[in-house]
Amino acid sequence: MSVAIAGPVGAPVTRSDRVTTLLGMVALRQAWLLAVNDLRQEARDLELILTSSFFSLVVLIMLGMSFSALGVSSQPLAVPGMLWLSVAFVGALTLGRIFTREREFDTLRALLVAPVERVSIYLAKAFVTLVILLGCSLITVLGLTLLFPAAQPFAQRPMATAALVLMGCTAYAGVGTLFAAGLASSSGKNVLLSVILYPLTMPSLLFALVATRSLLEGHESFTTYLGQLAATNVLAFVVGAWLFEPVLVGVPQKRRGTARAARRRR
Amino acid sequence: MDAPALLSLRDISKHFGRLAVLRGLDLDLRAGEIVGLIGANGAGKSTLLSIIAGLMPPSRGQRVFAGSEGVGLDERARFAVVSHTAQTYPRLTALENLELFAKLRAQAGCHSEPLLPTLDKLGLGYAAQRQAGTFSRGMLQRLALARALLGKPEMLLLDEPFTALDRPGRTLLASVLASERDRGAAILLISHDLEALVSVADRVVLLEQGVIAGAVPRAPDNDTFGPRVRELAGRMPAVRAEAGA
Repeated sequence: MSVAIAGPVGAPVTRSDRVTTLLGMVALRQAWLLAVNDLRQEARDLELILTSSFFSLVVLIMLGMSFSALGVSSQPLAVPGMLWLSVAFVGALTLGRIFTREREFDTLRALLVAPVERVSIYLAKAFVTLVILLGCSLITVLGLTLLFPAAQPFAQRPMATAALVLMGCTAYAGVGTLFAAGLASSSGKNVLLSVILYPLTMPSLLFALVATRSLLEGHESFTTYLGQLAATNVLAFVVGAWLFEPVLVGVPQKRRGTARAARRRR
Repeated sequence: MDAPALLSLRDISKHFGRLAVLRGLDLDLRAGEIVGLIGANGAGKSTLLSIIAGLMPPSRGQRVFAGSEGVGLDERARFAVVSHTAQTYPRLTALENLELFAKLRAQAGCHSEPLLPTLDKLGLGYAAQRQAGTFSRGMLQRLALARALLGKPEMLLLDEPFTALDRPGRTLLASVLASERDRGAAILLISHDLEALVSVADRVVLLEQGVIAGAVPRAPDNDTFGPRVRELAGRMPAVRAEAGA
């Protein structure tokens, strides 16, 4: 291949560039560039951030008002549901929008024909979804802590809470990004997103729900549930990264047609 | 035209369900050649482009680019596509749009041309710091072409590139394509605008109902295509109207 290794604008390649290329880190570095690009655009129009934040706030207020009369003993049963229901709603909203920009301006095709590892597009979109989900979860967790006495463990064990929210949101972003991409590259039937998304994210949401309840009730099983959630995350990202390219550009029907054509020519 | 084909399509077919869009199509594209592919709406031009660019697998047949059937990172570093939509990020400036792709290329170990001179070449140097969302359709088309030229591609695929360009824009595009051809790039120009195609192409190919229905090379002596190309294009109602044939 006649292409020369070079820096961003034709500058000589740096030592770190060579190391990352050798270590097969190209996809991760391209994913970072794409994620920064998405976040930079988001910072300029605030479309996703504002929509998702206000949505979280509205969900929180509605749930808070609906369950304000709950006794303290019943609250550990309701609070996990409120948190993850909010994540599920905001996640569907975010995933619906995360590829809209690409579809509206057809930029996904520009990336697909460029020398960009396709898995890096998946990782970048999942990362941006995760950032937005984490921001919205922060609003929800703070709100729940203020509204419900039983949610005080969120404030008392901030590291455990952060790990829980990170794990739960990561699994959701990992699974959701794959299906949002598939729908964006087809005829854009966003209405299907929720239909497909909720059943597939249900296992990770259930793990997160149970882990949250054990955190609020102070059970030792919390770390076990967190471990299961981590395993779900690994599974979600391995499957997502593996299927992303076939979902976007299809699978070539290798050789079958060519062999048949060759036989016909003979 | 004795050089081996840089792109070779053999018996390419594409079906969407029971609808056959391409039916056993053969086409060669050589380095230093501009091939104009003309066809009516629905002839399969954009589907063919998607297959060549690796955006869609063919249902049957063989696509070989630079000796490889794959469309991996190495192959994608060697060709570029300009679509009928500009495919630019509206919230980014023209320079940032190019910078993103230059950085992505750099991570894949590919060289990119300097950005500002590339924008200047396409007459966009003055708008380098403007967001692409404020650009006219013609400017966006030129920005898309600038992005395609970043990596000095060996093969350039253009889908309706003359759309939305004014007369100076068309002249500029024609001169850029001629200089890319002289550099040795193979160029496939897809359009339904016969006048625009004959002004730059070395060979005009007609795509009709999913197969190559005919091809006319530019006559070397008088530098024209003669009446045969209009005769060919006249077989299609949509093109006939535009060609005035």
